[in-house]
Amino acid sequence: MRPFTHINARTVKQAVTALAQQNGAARLNAGGTDLFGLLKDEYLPAYPDMIVNIKTIAGLNYIKEDKNFLRIGALTRLADISKSSLLRQRYAVLADAAHSVATPQIRNVATLGGNLCQDVRCCYYRYPRHIGGPIQCARKGSGACLAVTGDNRNHAILGGKRCFAVCPSDTAVALTLYDARLLVVGPGGERQIAVGDFYTPLKNGLRSDEMVREIQIPRLPEVPQQTFLKFTLRKPIDFAVVSVAALVSQATGICTEARIALGAVAPGIVRADAAEKFLRGRPLTAETAAQAAELALADARPLSRNAYKINIATALVTRALLGQKECEIPPDEVKAYNPTELSTFHRCSSSTPPGYATVVESGTATP
Amino acid sequence: MSDEYRFIGRSTRRKDATEVVTGATRYVNDLKFAELLHGKVLRSPHPHANLKSIDKSRAEQLPGVKAVLTWEDVPDWKGGTPRITRVLDSKVRYVGDAVALVAATTEDIARQALSLIDVEYELLPAVFDVDAAMQPGAPQLYEQLPGNIVTPGMPAFGPNSLREVVMGDVEQGFGEADVIIEGTFGYENIPNPIPPEPPGAVALWEEPNRVTLWVSNQASYLDTIILHHVFGRKVEVRTHGAACGGSFGTKLLSWQLQSHAVLLSKATGRPVKLIYSKEEHIAAFVLRPGSRMQARVGMKKGGTVTAVSGKWLVDTGFYSMTTQAQVAVGCGEIQLMTRCANWDLQTAVVCTNRNASGGVRGFGGQELKCSFIPLLCQAMEQLDLDPVEFIKKNYVKPGDGYFWRDGAWYTYRGIDYSDSMEQGAQCFGWKENWQGWLQPSSVAGTKRRGVGVGVHGNADIGEDSSEAHVRLNPDGSVLLFSCITEHGTGQRSNYVKMVAEVLQVPMERVSITDADSQINPFEYGPFGSRGTYAIGSAAIRAAEDARRQLFEIIAPRLKARPDELDTADGVVFVTADPDRRTSWRAMGHERTILGYGRFDPDFTLANCMTTFVEVEVDTETGKVDLLRVVNATDVGQIIDPPGLEGQLNGCLGSSGIDSALFEETVLDDRTGHILNANMIDYKWRTFSELPSIDNVVLETPVDSNRFKAIGVGEVATSPGPMAILMAVSNAIGVWLHEYPATPERVLKALGRVKARSHTGGAA
Repeated sequence: MRPFTHINARTVKQAVTALAQQNGAARLNAGGTDLFGLLKDEYLPAYPDMIVNIKTIAGLNYIKEDKNFLRIGALTRLADISKSSLLRQRYAVLADAAHSVATPQIRNVATLGGNLCQDVRCCYYRYPRHIGGPIQCARKGSGACLAVTGDNRNHAILGGKRCFAVCPSDTAVALTLYDARLLVVGPGGERQIAVGDFYTPLKNGLRSDEMVREIQIPRLPEVPQQTFLKFTLRKPIDFAVVSVAALVSQATGICTEARIALGAVAPGIVRADAAEKFLRGRPLTAETAAQAAELALADARPLSRNAYKINIATALVTRALLGQKECEIPPDEVKAYNPTELSTFHRCSSSTPPGYATVVESGTATP
Repeated sequence: MSDEYRFIGRSTRRKDATEVVTGATRYVNDLKFAELLHGKVLRSPHPHANLKSIDKSRAEQLPGVKAVLTWEDVPDWKGGTPRITRVLDSKVRYVGDAVALVAATTEDIARQALSLIDVEYELLPAVFDVDAAMQPGAPQLYEQLPGNIVTPGMPAFGPNSLREVVMGDVEQGFGEADVIIEGTFGYENIPNPIPPEPPGAVALWEEPNRVTLWVSNQASYLDTIILHHVFGRKVEVRTHGAACGGSFGTKLLSWQLQSHAVLLSKATGRPVKLIYSKEEHIAAFVLRPGSRMQARVGMKKGGTVTAVSGKWLVDTGFYSMTTQAQVAVGCGEIQLMTRCANWDLQTAVVCTNRNASGGVRGFGGQELKCSFIPLLCQAMEQLDLDPVEFIKKNYVKPGDGYFWRDGAWYTYRGIDYSDSMEQGAQCFGWKENWQGWLQPSSVAGTKRRGVGVGVHGNADIGEDSSEAHVRLNPDGSVLLFSCITEHGTGQRSNYVKMVAEVLQVPMERVSITDADSQINPFEYGPFGSRGTYAIGSAAIRAAEDARRQLFEIIAPRLKARPDELDTADGVVFVTADPDRRTSWRAMGHERTILGYGRFDPDFTLANCMTTFVEVEVDTETGKVDLLRVVNATDVGQIIDPPGLEGQLNGCLGSSGIDSALFEETVLDDRTGHILNANMIDYKWRTFSELPSIDNVVLETPVDSNRFKAIGVGEVATSPGPMAILMAVSNAIGVWLHEYPATPERVLKALGRVKARSHTGGAA
């Protein structure tokens, strides 16, 4: 790490004032889980001169519902979101998406605002400075996107332009499904940005002197069927290869509302408008769900190595629509690692017939 | 079984258990030194370039910087096999290669100084593929290695170091075959075991020619020998092997890092600590060798292999230190698992512009078999052979012979492992689940299950030499001198256990010296699975020698012959009349007894590990889940049940089974950058995703040493990867031959990845 100035902001105004004064050379620190990667790997051309700690701002950690909106403070921790009974009952996709992030340790410090504003995970973009220097690319303002002709297995299949990195936020998928918007504060006042419009290929919609203060979800009149699915190689820790959220309301066997949001397939979160339209007024069956999924990916234009993401996304959309929540999300309580339960040790005699005289040293089962 | 022993075969407390779990164990980074400086390495952004000029003046002026070294500042020290790789060179050969070294009073200052070094590079074309590297006109990494082909043979293994398997008449063999299969298969995902503790060292130079290192390595005595040669045989090297936070073979050697620390200490006269970051550990430390095999195999209906011919290409990255040794051992190991009379297997070790390959658990054999077994599978499929029956039939049997690493022919005098394979198959339920080649064992919707099996074994259990001393003190305590670092396997404790068993004293009464090369006798180190038989034999013999001396001294006092005596708990007594007894104190207060034990290489025994796996594949998403694993082996005699279980459970990570599921080092083959040098993008199994593991361990006495035991710790990783490919192929009904079996590859194999028009700005 290099030296930097560190200040504790007490108010949102103090924080954005500091950002404005530093003119792009300051960074906010909420949970810090994404920021520390930048500070350690120094993958950006410029190193922050100042870190503005916003954990010291009181009153930005809340989940509350009023007549029109469900409001979540930007500093609300992912752990609190995943455990909130209000969200679990009515906005389960957001609770599940928050729960799917990283590990319990990270969810205990990471915030919703930080999850939405985190930088992309592109392996070229994040290449560490200490192994021969950072890699220049379109997102850093010079050169082309290296993923286009390089290793693009995790890159965009939809909507890439100049930069093909995907939006890594899981909670953004849920929020886009709910048509949520961000309340953003800058030196000149507040403005609102729809989460679905927040991400563009080269950056998110936040100016360098702005911060997210609140996330607002239009109140759901009823509790629809809703499902969040995230495909990863490993259950914990990993960022999504593809994530999908779907919401369906039905009356007399016919879809009155259908929404589909896809994450990690594009620079932003993709709402599958054509697929949603297709489903409204139709019955939800395995067949219509599959047709909707085809429609959701109809515009996909894969790069050399990421066409497989279309298959995964198609499968996930179908399953999410049908409410097939088979990707069980592991519980928060991690069982203590007990080496004697990890495996079963069969100490066998070679002189006895196979299958007999098996002495089990630990564990219980033996065939 | 263990009834006859007091300690051997029983679960005993590890000597270092309390220290490890309470955080008291001191690893290299925990050691304190006065006046310590911190070293950092400036690394190349280019895969291949000449250094035209280096301006270090700005870096040198930074307060706190004590030394900045480039190739122009350092002696002509070289490592590698052959010894042609300079510790700092005028040329860089991979992205991450060392350009300059800095020592400073803090890590941050050292890192800042790196950014103040101005380097002008003359770029050279680079090559990242073994076949391309051998082509005429390919970029040349070293003048001394035309065609980038590394000089064959490992000098340490003697002039005939194994570099090929040639015997019998392959044409005749193919003539006898019922099926002949030809193909090229590879294991080229260069996985990295990434032990939790990154490589590191502290060096302290003393003029004119002496250096002491505190190392985090698996074989600290060997470091003194390697570095002595690297330093032109003009420097006296002493090592302290600290506790080593895991190695899995990769920290057998760290000669470059250690040399860099030594150079910085030599330049500053102060101790210098150089510890790699996790990024350096993955992008600039050794990887598993890449393996590609073009081969032809002939097989008869009953599973007899009639001929094997082909070429094995091994990608060693930008230099080789041990790769020829891995080729030699791999060539031996392939014979252990394939009883065949006719061979013509050639090899070549090839340099490419990526970071170097080094030793990794499975040392050559895993790499070769991961490429070879897919070929055998094709033949087995043609002949409808059950792979378990094939393995049982083809694994080395008593009386068989093989060429081992020194090129000599050895006759195997160990046991037949069929029994362990059979009991493993029973535990797994192989017969119930095996439905034939490319047949799933069950199908439920989009989920298809498949089973696979792999085998591996090594005659390295008796390789190389070990020495030990055992000192008996009059108070009944014992000190074992053995230059062994504790790299996580618990072996230091096990040698104490062996000595305690020989001398019949409580383990608490036996201590073991620190791994200091100056006070301990020669020790090659815990390579492969040599710990139990090779290192253990030295400790056992030293204890037996000390015991013999003790009896000679005490016999006159008990008016008995030495061979009539026995000892337990610090008391010597007449075996036939235990009341005639005296304590060890009778040796005299002003005396210690020093026993000596030595082990010389023995390549006539081999171990064996058979691994059965069951996977579930989602045919819509391509996701492969590992459901369960059964490892089956025979170790002669278990020394320490929990230690052995831990080693066998290591089958998953450390580039074992998981190197066929998701572990891979991602190298950009245009730029030479390693793109996943972090623990998010390098996929390492987490503790919350462990499959069911059953370890089936037989104890058929082996004619090895006093305890009839052999080691098996290394080989747990090796049969798994090929078993996974077999299981996935069976589950999805089509062959999948590339490691790892990612969703991308599974879906492609299934023909489900749709070709789309590449428009919209995408390539």
